[in-house]
Amino acid sequence: MPPRPPRAVFKAFYRWTRDLHLYLGLFVSPFVLVYAVSAIQFNHTLMPWGGVSNAEVAREERVVRVVVSDSKNSLEIARQVRQQIDVRGEIGYVRRKAGSREVRFPIETPGHVTTVDVDLSAGTATIQQRSTGVWDGLTYLHKMPGPHNATVRGNWLVTRFWGWTADVAVYLILFLTASGVYLWTVLRADRRTGMAFLGAGLLSFVAIIVAIVA
Amino acid sequence: MRKLHNYLGLYLLTFVWLFSASGLILNHPAWSAAQFWKVREETTAQRAIIVPSATGDIELAAGLMTQLGIVGEIGEMKRSSKGDAFEFQVVRPGRVFRVEARIDSARVRVTQIRLNAWGVFDALHKFTGVSLDAPARTRDWALTKVWSLAMDALALGLMILIVSGLFLWYRFPVKRVPGLIALGAGIACCAFFLFGLGTLFG
Repeated sequence: MPPRPPRAVFKAFYRWTRDLHLYLGLFVSPFVLVYAVSAIQFNHTLMPWGGVSNAEVAREERVVRVVVSDSKNSLEIARQVRQQIDVRGEIGYVRRKAGSREVRFPIETPGHVTTVDVDLSAGTATIQQRSTGVWDGLTYLHKMPGPHNATVRGNWLVTRFWGWTADVAVYLILFLTASGVYLWTVLRADRRTGMAFLGAGLLSFVAIIVAIVA
Repeated sequence: MRKLHNYLGLYLLTFVWLFSASGLILNHPAWSAAQFWKVREETTAQRAIIVPSATGDIELAAGLMTQLGIVGEIGEMKRSSKGDAFEFQVVRPGRVFRVEARIDSARVRVTQIRLNAWGVFDALHKFTGVSLDAPARTRDWALTKVWSLAMDALALGLMILIVSGLFLWYRFPVKRVPGLIALGAGIACCAFFLFGLGTLFG
């Protein structure tokens, strides 16, 4: 079979890039919306409609018996308790003072927090569950997994899955920028004005960064 | 609408790249790019000061910053119970200043921490000057306000790109069904994490 002429290859490449830009853009747009809305929340300490304080409802406080083997590894203690109290979610952090027989940790899912206070001596766990609302859930997803408490982060499989999803979203966004630039360059009529906008964006970016960092 | 989508996307390109790359690094603290704190440069200097006549902590910090030639966003502040010592932190992407002032002896010790480019990246992603955990904090550096405006503009710009993208997609009947599948998959995935986890496991 003779090689395809370059024009046909170019056309096929253009069509594939355009369709991938479209469909991958549609797929990733809810994720971009999550990050964009939560970014505004962070930027203006916004928790609409009262946010956490209005949405917070202490559903119940209950005390359950737990059987836990003490360990220097506080995360391991928290994991054992989490399994026994049948609450699923990411252990946010574990607090235990040196020499103390009390361990405290939150179990988090977007929009919900369960605070657990374990008394290793008494063999009990005091559990308090509360809803923090969808706006708090948005900011939680934006921050996860994040750089903090790296030694405990990802202790729930779903959090790890969200981390991978966040990575994929970023790589898709980077692909969209590259494919978008390519699709623009194909449009001769838009090139000059596009260059002006690209240049203006680059200039404002560099100007702000230099002013802040220098 | 196509022009709006194209031109806005081109304008925001470098900002999108910055937040994408820094977001990746923030989510991967084990990467070498994220180890910038370990290779920070720290210097300390002591000098005499003229104690500013100030009523509040922010005024006092601002007065000391002017004398010391420090610019940035004022962070945590701590005054001793006797009022003879005052500590505060000043932050700007890539640099952290810790100022420990002895009001009684009119001397300060300034520790300056310089971070590499990755540290600058990291800071720019989070540099808002405010905090959800401390809603009373306000921005006190003009450039923090400029950067936070840029972040707002980027967030709003991305939303406009989404809306214009949806409009551009819907104009093509032949692409509606596959597009709906792609969009539906994205919405389902997001909704599972945002609403589903709490419902299933809360």
